[in-house]
Amino acid sequence: MATINATVSINSDISSYPVNINSSMTMMKAGLCTGLDETTGLRTKKFTSTTDAVIVEHDELTDDKAHKVYIRNTSSSKEYFFYVAYNASAAAAGTAEVIGKLYGGDWMLFPYDGNVNITVASSTTETQTLEYMVFADGVVAAKG
Amino acid sequence: MATTTATISISSGDLIPGSNLSVNASSTLMKAGLTTGLTQLRTGYESIATGTEFRLGPLATETSGSVHDIASWVYICNKATDDTYYIDWGIHETMIGRLYAGDWMFIPWNASDDDAEIEIEAQNGTQTIEYAFFASDLVLPTAAS
Repeated sequence: MATINATVSINSDISSYPVNINSSMTMMKAGLCTGLDETTGLRTKKFTSTTDAVIVEHDELTDDKAHKVYIRNTSSSKEYFFYVAYNASAAAAGTAEVIGKLYGGDWMLFPYDGNVNITVASSTTETQTLEYMVFADGVVAAKG
Repeated sequence: MATTTATISISSGDLIPGSNLSVNASSTLMKAGLTTGLTQLRTGYESIATGTEFRLGPLATETSGSVHDIASWVYICNKATDDTYYIDWGIHETMIGRLYAGDWMFIPWNASDDDAEIEIEAQNGTQTIEYAFFASDLVLPTAAS
């Protein structure tokens, strides 16, 4: 069993009282107190077109589990973004189910059941780079 | 202009043998396509009963009138302690993942239309969640006459 800790800190002065959210979790297997111990690895990918692409293939992961997906747009532009979608085919923009837009410098972490691909589409032909990693609750070995 | 900063740190000393994992990132949450910070906030701490899919947060038409597809952010934390409890979360009718007891998530939400709402459903027992929406616009529902 491995121990993977993830901590978020969100601080804001939107309201007249300070907002300070701090939360930590140890990533566990579904329904168990056993830590996640597999990963697809940290990947970095440059995009130079708006063509949709799969970044997480669900058939590499066990279905209906407690995977976690981390994605970060490492670019600096706040003008451009990636659509991020939970989608069977490589079509992110304007199709179900788009989760959100990841602008330059933004990151996201979300629980993922491993049942459908995660796809992205860049909003620009300018170079943008994503880094992403799946903390897996079961990796399916590739068939020979 | 308000400033909202979100920072993540992921670490593990034993996930990858012989290599310490340390991922750190920080971003300032901006309005869509701009370098102006988000200005509106909605937070909650609520008990979620099992057996029903609930909408969490506003509809798209409650976030920016007729202009959707904006840059909102959602933080959710499942405060349950029973390892078997989880919250299914998804967009509209499509469930995407399981937020188990003690887990948190942080996502951009573009709220493209009213069929892009965030849905949650508690599984195995009533659970309490803590959540926050950071948005550029939130519109209150019109009061009944």
